[in-house]
Amino acid sequence: MKTKLVLNFNPEASNLPITHNLTAKYGLLVNILRAEIDEVGGKMVIEVSGKAESIKNGIDYLKEAGVGVRPIKEGVRRDDDACTHCGVCISICPTKALSLDRETRKVIFTEEKCVACGVCIDACPPRAMEILI
Amino acid sequence: MKKRIPPGPTSSGKSFADISTRAQNGDAVVMTAMEFKEFVRTNGIKKAAKEVDIVTTGTFGAMCSSGAYFNFGHSDPPIKMQRAWLDGIPAYAGMAAVDVYLGATELDDSNNMMHGGAHVIEDFVRGRAVRLKATAHATDCYPLKEIDTYVSLKTINQAVLMNVRNCYQNYAAASNTSGRTLYTYMGKLLPELGNATYCSSGELSPLLNDPLYRTIGIGSRIFLGGGEGFVIWEGTQFNTGVERTPNGVPKRPAGSIAVLGDLKQMTSEFVKGLTFTRYGATLGLGIGVPIPILDEDMAKACAVTDKDISTAIFDYAQQTRARPVLAEVTYAQLGSGEVDIKGRRVPTSPLSSIYKARRIAELLKKSIAKGDFVVTEPVQRLPLDRSFKPLDTMNDKEAME
Repeated sequence: MKTKLVLNFNPEASNLPITHNLTAKYGLLVNILRAEIDEVGGKMVIEVSGKAESIKNGIDYLKEAGVGVRPIKEGVRRDDDACTHCGVCISICPTKALSLDRETRKVIFTEEKCVACGVCIDACPPRAMEILI
Repeated sequence: MKKRIPPGPTSSGKSFADISTRAQNGDAVVMTAMEFKEFVRTNGIKKAAKEVDIVTTGTFGAMCSSGAYFNFGHSDPPIKMQRAWLDGIPAYAGMAAVDVYLGATELDDSNNMMHGGAHVIEDFVRGRAVRLKATAHATDCYPLKEIDTYVSLKTINQAVLMNVRNCYQNYAAASNTSGRTLYTYMGKLLPELGNATYCSSGELSPLLNDPLYRTIGIGSRIFLGGGEGFVIWEGTQFNTGVERTPNGVPKRPAGSIAVLGDLKQMTSEFVKGLTFTRYGATLGLGIGVPIPILDEDMAKACAVTDKDISTAIFDYAQQTRARPVLAEVTYAQLGSGEVDIKGRRVPTSPLSSIYKARRIAELLKKSIAKGDFVVTEPVQRLPLDRSFKPLDTMNDKEAME
């Protein structure tokens, strides 16, 4: 199975090799979607894949290491009323989560493909895209 | 004065007046541009010219050269507004007492360039209250020095959308060869030819279906922002001399129209405040124009498809007036989602909503068919001999030569 997690670190936890440990100790595949660090700690958005049991154990490990863990269902939300279906977002979305339906010419947002990178946020002229993490 | 050719009937065709009367009686055959092209594919030009009376076109996109004028009525005591702001966005008040013009790209005094006149225009259309502040010098006839109040489309005396350049006939496409992301009025252009953007509804676009302005002219009634409006003049930067296909379709930005309509009739579905990051505000606007099929030439013009319309992709990395052309492409290629630039497959993005353009063509068709929307013959044709002069720095003598 696959799940997306938001991790919050205090400065101490920022020094731990946690993504390495998730892979080495729990056999999880880790895809880092976003990572940022500043003077008060860090934040990371990852997608982990593996067996359900391993994911659970991995999450327990993170919690023990003092990392805040929050699963996310959606990272970016579209305001359907604001979207004009122009399509300016489709060529900048790196994962093709935003695409144009060739028949209806509406912009389709496939949330499962979205990695919450946020490049669409400031590219959207009617400001229909909002990042939630 | 140059003699203008009236847009009247041709020997083998139908007259504008006949078509308009038939439409008002509910007897006209009206098709959207999408339906008409399909009809021509199946039945040919001759049959289409004979059987179809009106084709409805549409476009929805960022139209920067837009704005609205307002007359607020008089306060008591009266004021001759010298400076005015609508929700903090400066409006031009140099037209006597209580008339102001709010430009779509006007920005607030803060430097974030996120909120502008276009957003205030959308707020008005949505029925929201907008804060009006104005200051004045105070005169014996207009003693009030300042006013701070709220207005909305319910209270305001007159509110009129008046745009000097809309509905461009064809438009340039954009890409970026530099190493950094560019933020432009053509959207976010990714480095190293990361994407290309374009902005026209192509085969649905009004002036691309009437390339020589035979039916769209001054006085044409149009769909404007969800209400009715009129073409009031040639648009600014009107430029007829660009290269054209044998059918007259321009290969570069050419004609445009200046339009006007009652803001109180409009809807936020077709009037949207837009923000282009680090460029500023602009107005997303929907326009639809009915085109009477006067004869076979008009049928041929309206049969144009995205394969027949081309434009150039310019390199926005060059900060000059004459940007280099990276590729010549058709709207069919642009619409496929990818184009070839210098051997690279570059993903494309439209800035113009085909979804909304189609909706406008549908709505206009329905309202013509019901007899609600009356198709009008222009009182004067748009010019066919305009060039686009540049702005160069020169001294007073040179400027008079």
